[in-house]
Amino acid sequence: MHPLLTGRGTIALYVAAWLVIAALIAALLIIPGTFGWSAAAMLVLPMAIVYAFMCLSSYYLCRAFPLLSTNVLKVFIVLLVAAVATSAVWVLAGSAWAMALGSLFNDAQFWERYRLQYPLLFGIGVVLSLLVAAVHYVIIAFEQARAAERRAYELRLLAQGAELKLLRAQIDPHFLFNSLNSVAALISSDPDGARTMSVRLAGFLRESLRLGAQEFIAVREELALARDFLRIEQVRFGKRLQVEESVTPDAETVIIPSLLLQPLVENAVTHGIAHLVDGGTIRIAARRTAARLIVEVWNPCDADRPRSKGPGIGLQNVRYRLSTLYGSDGSLEVEETNRYFRVIVSLPSTAER
Amino acid sequence: MPSDRRSAPLRAVIVDDETPARQLLREYLGDFPGIDLVGECANGFEAVKLLPELKPDLLFLDIQMPKLTGFEVLELIEPPPAVIFATAYDQFALKAFEIHAVDYLLKPFSKERLAEAVDRARERLHHHRKLPVASLATEARGTGTPLERVLIKEGSRVHVIPVDRIDYIEAEDDYVSIHADGKKHLKQQRLTELEGLLDSQRFVRVHRSFIINIDRIARIELYAKDSRVAILKDGRQLQISRSGYEKLKDRL
Repeated sequence: MHPLLTGRGTIALYVAAWLVIAALIAALLIIPGTFGWSAAAMLVLPMAIVYAFMCLSSYYLCRAFPLLSTNVLKVFIVLLVAAVATSAVWVLAGSAWAMALGSLFNDAQFWERYRLQYPLLFGIGVVLSLLVAAVHYVIIAFEQARAAERRAYELRLLAQGAELKLLRAQIDPHFLFNSLNSVAALISSDPDGARTMSVRLAGFLRESLRLGAQEFIAVREELALARDFLRIEQVRFGKRLQVEESVTPDAETVIIPSLLLQPLVENAVTHGIAHLVDGGTIRIAARRTAARLIVEVWNPCDADRPRSKGPGIGLQNVRYRLSTLYGSDGSLEVEETNRYFRVIVSLPSTAER
Repeated sequence: MPSDRRSAPLRAVIVDDETPARQLLREYLGDFPGIDLVGECANGFEAVKLLPELKPDLLFLDIQMPKLTGFEVLELIEPPPAVIFATAYDQFALKAFEIHAVDYLLKPFSKERLAEAVDRARERLHHHRKLPVASLATEARGTGTPLERVLIKEGSRVHVIPVDRIDYIEAEDDYVSIHADGKKHLKQQRLTELEGLLDSQRFVRVHRSFIINIDRIARIELYAKDSRVAILKDGRQLQISRSGYEKLKDRL
C-alpha cells in the first residue's frame, strides 16, 4: 500500500497540493490567451487529478532503487525514463480529453490549440513526476528511520524483560550448600527432620521457580515463599533466627513484581542474623494506605560490623526493578543504624488478586 | 619423638556457628581413631577464649561467623594450630592458602574428603611443628583491602573496634594505644605495622608517635616555629611533625 493512500488526511493534503499545481498550469494556459478561464479549468483540473495518481506509481520504483545502495546516476536515468513515459501517456490522455471538450463546446479549434501546448505540458509532466519521486524518497527515508527506531525500542524492551527475569531468578547458591549440609547432618541424628528439610528445600525451589516465571504475583504468595525460606534457615540457625509478621489482610491480595521481597528477607538473614552471636528477630510488615502498598523488612544487626559503602547488589536489583516497572511511583528506602537495618518498599496498590 | 607424635591422637576443636554443621563434623570425626575432639565453639569470641586453654593441634574453622571471622580468630590465637577451613563459600580459598591452611573443605563434604584433609594435617604436624599462621594472616590481609576493624585481646576478652570509631592511635613502646569512643585500648603491635594496614586516605601518620583519623580534626594551629598541633573535635591536642604536616596538607 502506498503510504500517501493510508490515511484520509494525507490523501486530502496530496490532492490539495495538486489543486495548486493545477491552478499554476491553468495560469500558464490562460495568460498567453490560449484558453479562456472556464475552458482552462475544465481541461486542466481533471488532468491534474489524474496525473496526481499516475505519479504515485513511482513510489514502487523508488523502493526498488534505494538511493543509498544504488548508483545515483542510474537512479536518475531510471526515474527520468519513467517520468518521460508517464508524462507522454498523460499528454496523450489529455489530448483525448481536449478532443471531447472540443466537441462539447462545439469548438473545432480547441484540440488544435491544445496540440500546440504539447511541449509545455510534456515538460511540466516530466518535472512533476520527478518532483513526486523526490517526495517518495523523503517518505521512504522517514519510514526507515521510524522502523529502525521501533526495532531499537523493541530490542530494548526485550533486553529489559530478559534482564528483569534474570534479576528475579537469582537464588544464592550458598543457601543451597548450607541447607544441603544441614540435611547431611540431620540424616543420622534426626532422619525425619532430614526428610522434612529436603521436602521443604524442594518446595522452596519449585515455588521460587514457578513464581519467578511470572512477572507479577500476590503479596500472599510472596510471603508464603519467604516463610518457606525462613523455616529452612531456622534449621541452620536454630533459636538465633526468630520471625515476626504483621500483615494486614487487605495487603495480602495486592499484586507486586514477583520475588521482590525475597532478596530483602535473604539480606536480613545473611547480613543481619548471621552476624549476631545470639541472633534476633526479623520483622516483616505489609500494609495498605490509600492507593499504596508499604512493605517493611526489619532486622537487628551487629554494631561492630564493617559498614557497607552503599546498598548491596540485592537492594540495587530491587530498586532497579521498582524504577523500571513504576518509575518514580515505586521506591525503596533504607534506614540503617548501629542496632538495626530497615528496608521500606512502597509501590502503587492498583491491582489485586 | 616424631613416631610418638604420629601415633598420639590429635587434639581437635570445631569452630562453627551452625549447630547442624558442628554436629555433622563431630559425627564424622567420631569414626576417626586418631582424633580426640576436645571442644566446640559456636562463635569467634568463644574460640578466642577457649583455644588457649584447649591447646588443640588441629582446628576446624568456619569463616563467616558472627563477630569474628575465621581469619580474625586465627589472628588472635597464639600459638596457631594447624587449620582446616570448612565453609560453603569458595571465594575465600585463595586467602586461606595464603595463610598456609592445611586444607579447605567446601560444605557439604564427604567423610572421605575429610579423611584426606586429616591425613594432610597429620603429615604437616609431623614435619614442622610451628606454623607461622598469625603473622601470615596479617600479611595476607595487608595485601588486599584496608583494615575495616581492629581486634584487641584483653585477657580472654576481645574488643572489636570498627576503624571509623578510632580518633587517633599513639605509640607506646612495643604497644599502640587506640583511642576510640572516649576509651583507650592497648594492642601489642608496632605503630608502623598498623599504619600499613589502615586506609591511608583516612589515617595519617602525623608524627613519629601518632596516627590520626583525619575526620576528627577540627583545625590545625601553629605551635612553634616548625611544629603544629592538631586540635581534635573533642578538644584534645596532638603534635604534628613537619613531614606529618606535609602529608596532612595533601589529604585535607
